[in-house]
Amino acid sequence: MRRRLFALIIMVACAVPVHAADRIAFGSFKTSDNATNWAARVAQLMQADIDVVAIAKSGETWYRVTSGALDATAYADMERRANLSGIRYWRLRGEIDAVPVPGAARNPQALARIRPAARASEPPASHAPPASGVASAVDARAAISSLDLDLGLQARTYAESGLDGQSRFQPSFSASLDYYRRWDQGRQSLTFSPFVRLDGEDDERSHFDLRELYWSRVGNDWDLHLGVKQVFWGVTEFKHLVDIVNQTDLVENIDGEDKLGQPMAHLSVIRDWGIVDLYLLVGFRERTFPGSDGRLRLSVPIDTDRASYASAAGRNRIDAAIRWTHNIGPVEFGLSHFSGTSRDPELRAALTPSGTLVLRPHYSVVDQTGLDVQAILGDWALKVEAISNSGFGDRYNAINFGFERTLVGIMGGRADLGVVAEYMFDDRNDAAVTTLYEHDLALGTRWSLNDLADTQALLGVIWDVKTHEYVFKVEGSRRLGETWTLLLEGRIFGGAHEPDSGAPLRSLFDADNKSASLQRDDFLQLELTRYF
Amino acid sequence: MRNGLLVTCLLVLPWTSVAARDPDDLDLAGLSPRESGLAIFEAADRRASGYADMQVELEMILRSSRGAESHRQLRIKQLEVPDDGDKLLVIFDTPKPIKGTALLSFSHKMEADDQWLYLPAMKRVKKITSRNKSGPFLSSEFAYEDLTAQEVEKFTYRLLRTEPLDAVPCYVVERTPLDGYSGYARQVVWLDLAELRVQQIEYYDRRNGLYKVLAIHDYVEYENQFWKAGRMFMTNHQTGKTTELLWRNYQFGTGLMDERDFSTNSLLRVR
Repeated sequence: MRRRLFALIIMVACAVPVHAADRIAFGSFKTSDNATNWAARVAQLMQADIDVVAIAKSGETWYRVTSGALDATAYADMERRANLSGIRYWRLRGEIDAVPVPGAARNPQALARIRPAARASEPPASHAPPASGVASAVDARAAISSLDLDLGLQARTYAESGLDGQSRFQPSFSASLDYYRRWDQGRQSLTFSPFVRLDGEDDERSHFDLRELYWSRVGNDWDLHLGVKQVFWGVTEFKHLVDIVNQTDLVENIDGEDKLGQPMAHLSVIRDWGIVDLYLLVGFRERTFPGSDGRLRLSVPIDTDRASYASAAGRNRIDAAIRWTHNIGPVEFGLSHFSGTSRDPELRAALTPSGTLVLRPHYSVVDQTGLDVQAILGDWALKVEAISNSGFGDRYNAINFGFERTLVGIMGGRADLGVVAEYMFDDRNDAAVTTLYEHDLALGTRWSLNDLADTQALLGVIWDVKTHEYVFKVEGSRRLGETWTLLLEGRIFGGAHEPDSGAPLRSLFDADNKSASLQRDDFLQLELTRYF
Repeated sequence: MRNGLLVTCLLVLPWTSVAARDPDDLDLAGLSPRESGLAIFEAADRRASGYADMQVELEMILRSSRGAESHRQLRIKQLEVPDDGDKLLVIFDTPKPIKGTALLSFSHKMEADDQWLYLPAMKRVKKITSRNKSGPFLSSEFAYEDLTAQEVEKFTYRLLRTEPLDAVPCYVVERTPLDGYSGYARQVVWLDLAELRVQQIEYYDRRNGLYKVLAIHDYVEYENQFWKAGRMFMTNHQTGKTTELLWRNYQFGTGLMDERDFSTNSLLRVR
């Protein structure tokens, strides 16, 4: 109390707020290690010498991080720098409150003077664990391993039998395993994730895939991954234009969000100006297509055993990709280039020796440049994805753009509602044979009830503004207890007429009727998954 | 009279025996209530700073008003960024269906926070709008904004009074969020005089009605320096739902690094 009064009197008497030998203090610590660490960070940020001073208070020694004694000009300069750096500080008024450590000199002596370290690419020493044997640094990087298994039972029911009389009911079973192991103080890891589905109707949908099997080595500002891996690029919700590294596992889901594992070497480097990812892709993965007994397929069967390649190396061609991503304020963007075998095949009509009409996938070699941008403005996320692709003869360009808006506190204050609207355009227009969406508008709502069961629902529609074909989509999920989930999914296709069985090829390539083959495939699917 | 004195001694003694903080970082003499409130939170922030990084395990127990329970286990890694807001990585371990999902959050002193969500099924990192800050975190009674770093600059303050809370002498400070997207009109915070630890927070909704009350218990001093809570209990007074947080295995100064542990790349390899 007396001290405060005294300080007040001095302040009033001098009418100068800064005493001639003031210091700026940045914190006080009970261990000198903590104080030294903090002093190093402050020195780095302020680009100034910072002292660690031992003081005694209530019979205890404290380690205070302060500037040296400063005159009024130097104090003002130091204060300005502290404000610029955003460091919290307080003012030590002269020697008034300094209590010397017993046995030390009368005035507080700096135990250490920390000079700002030069900026280096390695993190400053202050990030390293304190030297005085903190065992927790080892614990935090401890070797770990984990094994998870999901088993799923899926039942699809279609509104009608298929074009060729395929079944209305399609049960299947799936299993995915995930093994992970990390060692070498967290610097190395192994990931192993195989997947298998057994389908009761469609032999092509019964399949095994090595989703991931890769080794990683992590540096301070780089990652290296070798093996089979999955990589996602992009920002939009309904269609992923830019995403090209992994092949689509189309038999899993017609939405194209399931991907096959891609063997690769992937190096990622973090710099001040963004993240650069380099990929060397070895071994091409062919797209999966439903078989003749399956649903959600084209009216003409696809002969996946006779795929052809533009490259003489066939599926052994080595592809390459590069991507640069960066954030500037609320905007994040990715600029990418891919050179290699197209993930989208061209489907070429052919006759088998027995005279059956089939489609054979043909994979061209393409160069595709992609740009994806997302800007977050308040509760709006504005999104663009654009590509330019050297194509299957003629270069083409495509763009998706739209927004996502999140509204919180719907329905009694707990539920969130996300609204998504996107427009998809491909400048090949009707000649865009590899996509259903060349001039389509997509609208969707995503509900999160934020209840104990994590109930979520998604409703969406994609509508072709020229041909008026449409797809309605519904998805809902709910946890049952701690280890089960129930997933509901459904689609309704409309706006097109069924293919003309008398002219299958003309029907297939009818630009105004691209979804003809799907018109009988409206379905509802329930999936029960158990997590181990 | 003598009894009264004895009681006073009993109340005061435990606190005087606690080691005093560096006494010079908080001096309210001559300050207005607004300046005092700010000074208290600046001092509290200063005292809680300096560990460089922290890792902790968290169990959330969600209870509905009818007694249904749901448990979630998370791991949290935090990096101090002295010249900006802190960086936070939250990894979800259970329930198993959401295992591997992770949230990376960079809080900023002035601008909106940056937040990314990692969706393991698609290997996708998605930047999300920080507008969801007032929405429930993992269906709990905690909003995102209750759990992410609460930078001093994000509020204005007013010291209301000094009063004991469960016999612990406390400053009672009202703070008003500056961000229009906050779900609160104001919060009233109890910080103990001795160590400036937050003991209780009352949250008032945007219509200024009492919404939630957070009680914070079982403070332990780590590294001889940092006071961290062991248990937090949030009660939603409008629905009767509660969420309990149990914090375990705090570790400080573990050598976490900016790029290596707190980038969108690190989100992709979260385990």
